[in-house]
Amino acid sequence: MSKMITLSVFRYEPGKDEKPSMQTFEVPMLKPGMKLLDALNYIKWEIDGTLSYRRSCGEGVCGSDGLNINGVNGLACITPIEGLKQPIHVRPLPSMQVIRDLVVDMDHFFDQYRQIKPWLQAESPLPEHERLQSPEDRELLDGSYECILCGCCTTSCPSWWWNGDRFLGPAALLQANRWIVDSRDEATGDRLDQVEDAFRLYRCHQIMNCMDACPKDLNPTAAIGHIKRKLVSRKS
Amino acid sequence: MRTVKEPGSAHSGLSDWYWQRLSAVVLAFLLPLPFFLMLMVFSGAVDQQGLLDILDHVASRVLHTLLILALMVHAYMGLKVILEDYVHMLAWRIPLIATMLVVMGGFGIWWLALIWAWA
Repeated sequence: MSKMITLSVFRYEPGKDEKPSMQTFEVPMLKPGMKLLDALNYIKWEIDGTLSYRRSCGEGVCGSDGLNINGVNGLACITPIEGLKQPIHVRPLPSMQVIRDLVVDMDHFFDQYRQIKPWLQAESPLPEHERLQSPEDRELLDGSYECILCGCCTTSCPSWWWNGDRFLGPAALLQANRWIVDSRDEATGDRLDQVEDAFRLYRCHQIMNCMDACPKDLNPTAAIGHIKRKLVSRKS
Repeated sequence: MRTVKEPGSAHSGLSDWYWQRLSAVVLAFLLPLPFFLMLMVFSGAVDQQGLLDILDHVASRVLHTLLILALMVHAYMGLKVILEDYVHMLAWRIPLIATMLVVMGGFGIWWLALIWAWA
């Protein structure tokens, strides 16, 4: 008989349940290197089909299954069961409106992403082939472009919990910096204008939960620091 | 696509951030000095008259003034951020920040008066 894993999973259906509760499940260790998503899939397919959670690629690329795992945000699909203290507490991303069980409303998160205008803005005439970039300039995008917008960083940020209506959060600001450092983008001034705000940018108090939570090992705190330095150099 | 209705940037925050860091640098240099002076007094290296001579010297007064100004600016910026973080109702937040400004301003002026012996 295979080893059993105990999970304590957040359950809540607004409109039906009076308040959220934690439900315990026992799942067999199916294979070595089994991930948390495998355990959730087992629960859904073999034990309780009503459990709701988001998933898609299953390999840490799509960013659908951002969850709070034993108190730390991460992606279920790349989090190995081994090494997790049991019972494994699985909760939705913190400070988010729960739609059902582990599914949260990401609208506000993506609204904030849209506010930083995450696309190339250039007024110079389009070259015959493409806008070229030197390997050195391309290298500046490393550590930013890999973001999969899973929301693990933003929802782990206490500043965002307190002032999420105005503070853009680490994910959106990491992407703001991604376009600020892009040599092909010509809207740096506008981009800096858009984040120069006591709440939108400066609510970051360098708590660094974001870099701790990021499943892609990115560093939004450093990106935010770079934007602040850009603003200072523009003024000084 | 959802329409984002948000007020945009207030173009503020940079000067707060800048002054908080600038005052921190000044404090890092000047704040150890009074502790050093206290250490000298407690160890017996400086007696009461010696302490008064040091404090009365114009260079000490200037440094002391800079220290108090930096302390006021730094504390005001820090406490303002804390109030902004935790007090969400503007009807509370703005009067609280204003009260803090008045109290700290009064304290700073009183201290400066002591340094320059106006009182």
